[in-house]
Amino acid sequence: MWLHVRLSEVCLFLQAMFILACCFSDMESGPIATSGSVQPNGDRFKIEGRAIVPGVKTQDWISSARVTVEGEEYIGFLGTDGSFVVNDVPSGSYVVEVISPGYKFGAVRVDITSKGKMRARLVNFIKTSEVIRQPYPLQLRSSGPRTYLMKRETWGWTDFLMNPMVMMMVLPLLIIVLLPKVVNTNDPEMRKEMEQSMNMLNPNPELPDVSEFMTKLFSGSKSSSSKAIGGSKASGRPAVKRRWCQNITCTSGLRNYCNWSCHGNYNAIFKKSFFIRLYNCFLSRVFFPSSEIQVCK
Amino acid sequence: MKSSVKMAKLTSLFVILLSFFCISEAVFEDQVGKFDWRQQYVGKTLFAHFESNTQSSKKMFVATDKNIFASFNSRTGDLLWRHVDKTGPEGTIDILLLHGQDALMVVGDGRLLRSWDTNIGGLNWEVVLDTGSFQAACFVAIQDTVKLVAVLKKAAISLHYLSNGHQKWVENLPDSDAVQYQAVYSGGEEEVYVLGVVPNSHLTIIAYSLEDGEIIKQRSVEASWLSSVESSCVVVGQGVLMCVDPATLALYTLPIQAEETPEFSQILLQSLDLEVSPGFQPVLVSSQPHPARSPLSEFFLQLGPDHHVLLQLNADGYTIAPLRDFQPAFLVSFATTGKKTVAAVMTPKNETACAINLFSVDSGRRLLDTTVLFPLEPNGGKPHMLYVHAFLKKDDSVGYRVLVQTQDHALTFIQQPGRVVWTREEALADVVTMEMVDLPLTGTQAELEGEFGKKADGLFPMVLKRLSSQVTLLQAWLAHLWKLFYEARKPRSQVKNEVTIETLSRDEFNLQKMMVMVTASGKLFGIDSKSGSILWKHYLENVQPNAAFKLIVQRTTAHFPHPPQCTLLIKDKDTGLATLHVFNPIFGRKSHIALPALPRPILQSLLLPVIDQDYAKVLLLVDDQYKVTAFPSTKNVLQQLQEMASSIFFYLIRSEHGNLSGFRLRKDLSTERIWEVVLPTEVQKIVAVKGKRPNEHVHSQGRVMGDRSVLYKYLNPNLLAVVTESTDAHPERAFVGVFLVDGVTGRIIHEAVQRKARGPVHFVHSENWVVYEYWNTKSRRNEFSVLELFEGTELYNSTVFSSLDRPHLPQVLQQTYIFPSPITTMEATLTEKGITSRHLLVGLPSGAILSLPKMFLDPRRPEVVTEHSREENLIPYAPEMPIRTEWFINYNQTVARVKGIYTAPSGLESTCLVVAYGLDIYQTRVYPSKQFDVLKDDYDYVLISSVLFALFFATMISKRLAQVKLLNRAWR
Repeated sequence: MWLHVRLSEVCLFLQAMFILACCFSDMESGPIATSGSVQPNGDRFKIEGRAIVPGVKTQDWISSARVTVEGEEYIGFLGTDGSFVVNDVPSGSYVVEVISPGYKFGAVRVDITSKGKMRARLVNFIKTSEVIRQPYPLQLRSSGPRTYLMKRETWGWTDFLMNPMVMMMVLPLLIIVLLPKVVNTNDPEMRKEMEQSMNMLNPNPELPDVSEFMTKLFSGSKSSSSKAIGGSKASGRPAVKRRWCQNITCTSGLRNYCNWSCHGNYNAIFKKSFFIRLYNCFLSRVFFPSSEIQVCK
Repeated sequence: MKSSVKMAKLTSLFVILLSFFCISEAVFEDQVGKFDWRQQYVGKTLFAHFESNTQSSKKMFVATDKNIFASFNSRTGDLLWRHVDKTGPEGTIDILLLHGQDALMVVGDGRLLRSWDTNIGGLNWEVVLDTGSFQAACFVAIQDTVKLVAVLKKAAISLHYLSNGHQKWVENLPDSDAVQYQAVYSGGEEEVYVLGVVPNSHLTIIAYSLEDGEIIKQRSVEASWLSSVESSCVVVGQGVLMCVDPATLALYTLPIQAEETPEFSQILLQSLDLEVSPGFQPVLVSSQPHPARSPLSEFFLQLGPDHHVLLQLNADGYTIAPLRDFQPAFLVSFATTGKKTVAAVMTPKNETACAINLFSVDSGRRLLDTTVLFPLEPNGGKPHMLYVHAFLKKDDSVGYRVLVQTQDHALTFIQQPGRVVWTREEALADVVTMEMVDLPLTGTQAELEGEFGKKADGLFPMVLKRLSSQVTLLQAWLAHLWKLFYEARKPRSQVKNEVTIETLSRDEFNLQKMMVMVTASGKLFGIDSKSGSILWKHYLENVQPNAAFKLIVQRTTAHFPHPPQCTLLIKDKDTGLATLHVFNPIFGRKSHIALPALPRPILQSLLLPVIDQDYAKVLLLVDDQYKVTAFPSTKNVLQQLQEMASSIFFYLIRSEHGNLSGFRLRKDLSTERIWEVVLPTEVQKIVAVKGKRPNEHVHSQGRVMGDRSVLYKYLNPNLLAVVTESTDAHPERAFVGVFLVDGVTGRIIHEAVQRKARGPVHFVHSENWVVYEYWNTKSRRNEFSVLELFEGTELYNSTVFSSLDRPHLPQVLQQTYIFPSPITTMEATLTEKGITSRHLLVGLPSGAILSLPKMFLDPRRPEVVTEHSREENLIPYAPEMPIRTEWFINYNQTVARVKGIYTAPSGLESTCLVVAYGLDIYQTRVYPSKQFDVLKDDYDYVLISSVLFALFFATMISKRLAQVKLLNRAWR
């Protein structure tokens, strides 16, 4: 979960950077092409261009592809070398697209003036007047095969072992076994010290967090699971300790853990075990860095 | 700049979010072809050619009325490639000529000339022709090689090189106002001849020089009997024009080149002992095997619907010798291979088959061992065209394969000796309407069901019956197991899961249904939704080409032993007169039920929930005098109607008057008008009206908001969405209007006007929302708009909805989004109980079908994310709607020219059956909220069972260990 969140943050940042870069580089316009060819029959013009799928022979894809101008208003077919001409187009502004079920091509907006001057630019549906020049005659290069299908998630031992659930089960075992041998828990000073360190581990509730938003959203996508799992335990405990019970909006897998740790058995069995709580806290920092920590009701 | 970056950033955030939580939309790799199938069609064949005249050639090319040029594999009937041009007259294929590897095509009434490379299916070249309507085209040879193509237009003739399409020359035709130039002929000489006619006056022949287009000769011949060269003349032999005149019953011949013969020579049909069937226009059929040579001197003359004569023009050029008389003969065709030319003749054999034979053209003798049989379907169309692929066999005899086109647009390919290789039902390229009907229960299932319906006859017999039915079930299960076991041993190729009507029965989750499809040609099909195989077909012969169809399921399969019943309402668009065709949707058989007489044009039809004693729903037909006819109209039905009359309302639309009016039924089956809405036709015209689907269920009455209060939906079952478009097409003043009208009271609930917008408007009306799509003329983009109606936080009357008692108008929310592609059609998913979330299925021009979650079209999407909106799972507003290829439910199986999407619920709440039709037919299942009610496809049985076993063994072992430990302790 955490990995996903962080990754997406990184992605976001990268993407934003990329877009910025794009915008800057596009400020200088492409080669100016005004060589529209006027047809003899009235004010009808033709849109010319060439489509390329890198690494694929033309005969393997052109028979299933075609060029559409503004939906299906005008249609052109691809020549044996990938070039195309759409004839009989009146002046206006059109979105030209190469449609192929196998390969994806970007769309280009072509403006034709009433005198037959041609201009190609990037399609921008939001800022329709923005002009980022593209070469004309059109050069449409495929950005690769289209991906329609999802790969099934395959099951492997590493996935199983690296699963947070499994780690959550294995690590406490280790801690239960190892920690008492290292630290003398019966020492009251030691205990106090630890409690203090726990407090430091607790996050600042005022701090806004992107990942928290993500968590909410993910849980939101599951139509059924927006229920917050509240820790409803332990009225007789000190306030500090109650904090271990976390009010986390959980997604499927994690919910079990929350249930387990917040409600019932777990705490009941290991009521006395301070280390369990310590470990809990540690886990919550690692796996749910965002989760709000609330006082259980 | 900054704002755009921000926008882009937002959008990218949005996209990333989507990629996480909408992953379930996509089709998984192993699901390809598992529940979905596609069938590709091309339409009614206009021109068909075979690749070359060798036995091994596999390709054939067709051009169709749907503006499609396609190539088939003649061994399997599968499409090799297909090029779909624009619909309408601009894409019409005027002619298709084949020469070697190149296919020449004139498109759009002489607009374009195209040359295709038939090998790879790419375009060689395309040239724009001069304006003028197309008349004829032919290949022109220079010194025995075909190098040019001549295109004759109404007022000009042009020659183009085959290699690159460049124009060699173009010449205006002299006196083209008076003379109708209709044919062009080239027989391998240095000239190309153009034939024109002044109807009932004279014939004009012009010879152009191939070199520079100069007129070499020009002459006119008196022909007062001739009205059209195209329909009554052919060129035979050494350039002799042969015409037939139905009035004088004579053949006329005229050598084209020779100047010395100033007029036609007449040969009376009587002198040849031939007689024309009364009222029949005789037709001539000739053949020019190679464009560099002159045509054959043999030709066919059709004298009646099933009477053909093979005639030969003698070497003198004006006498004719009859070679053979074919009567009866439906169809004739010439075919040439090498130097041999044969004639194929189709003659009726018996009621179920026709025989096709080859005849030598020179002598008229029948060739031995050339008979193939063409099976005639009992409910199919008659043979219409014959395309023959002749080839030379190794022993130098002529072999052939034949493609038969029937009136119902079906293509059948037959090979010697009489084997049907494949059949293509091209009528399915134009599906008009369809329904999905549940399959019937099997006998045992029905018996089980019947047990519960019957009245109790004592405890003991009931127990016995119960036990016996359990035994039969067990038997059936064992038989099934045995069959599975038996088939598992056989190699896979031998196992054929043939679906026949007899073996059809409903499956566990009602996922397999019968698709009843109605096509524009009047042919009905019953298709198994699981496999796509056609189980029955029925051709309605007397259907007008411009008829409108409405398919109604009157009785479902649920009323055993009554058979299911479908009614097809066929309405002639010109006269408005309607006929009914009642049939059983499972078997396709026509039901012999007394049909009501419908002497008046029908305006409206409505299916009532009222059922007669045979469980058939009642269909009401309203004629132009507002009189109502009920079907079925038994006494029982009429009585029920009388009781219910005051609560039966219906509406009529007269879009030409901009009039929308509501009526109520009276007890005597007359009607009274209650309301009328007039939308002035000078300003706007009504383009479409849609109510809600009657089989739609809405599960939740409202939406829970972030603050835990409930926003109740306005669920008015009588609501109509009326879409109008402005008559003013100027981009600044054009608009699209959406009116929500209550069908009972005529009250306009809401009115939305989209300025600077024009159609075509596609819209979906469902639950409490209307989604519509239009073209924004100002920003030149497609936009989606959603209207959602809510009653507010309190329901006025929560038990029942009445249009007459709703004092408060609903609150209407609206939001608009940019959609980055035009769309061709739109429909919403439908499930059994309406619990599953809805998706919109959007057909795109690329042939993809996009499954767009309705969640994206929610007018409550907030611009600023708040605690409450987050609680409600509202996606923050983004102006542009995403299109992701993973959301295409048909992955790369594109459906060309999607015209309609039909959705039907299945027995599983999670699953919705989808059929997209247009040129192709695609059937699949969608799971808008994933498969929550069945185990998923990738459910890991191995893991689960191995964990179970491991646990089991672990318990065993630990038990044993514990015992040992206890024992040890006891010893201690």
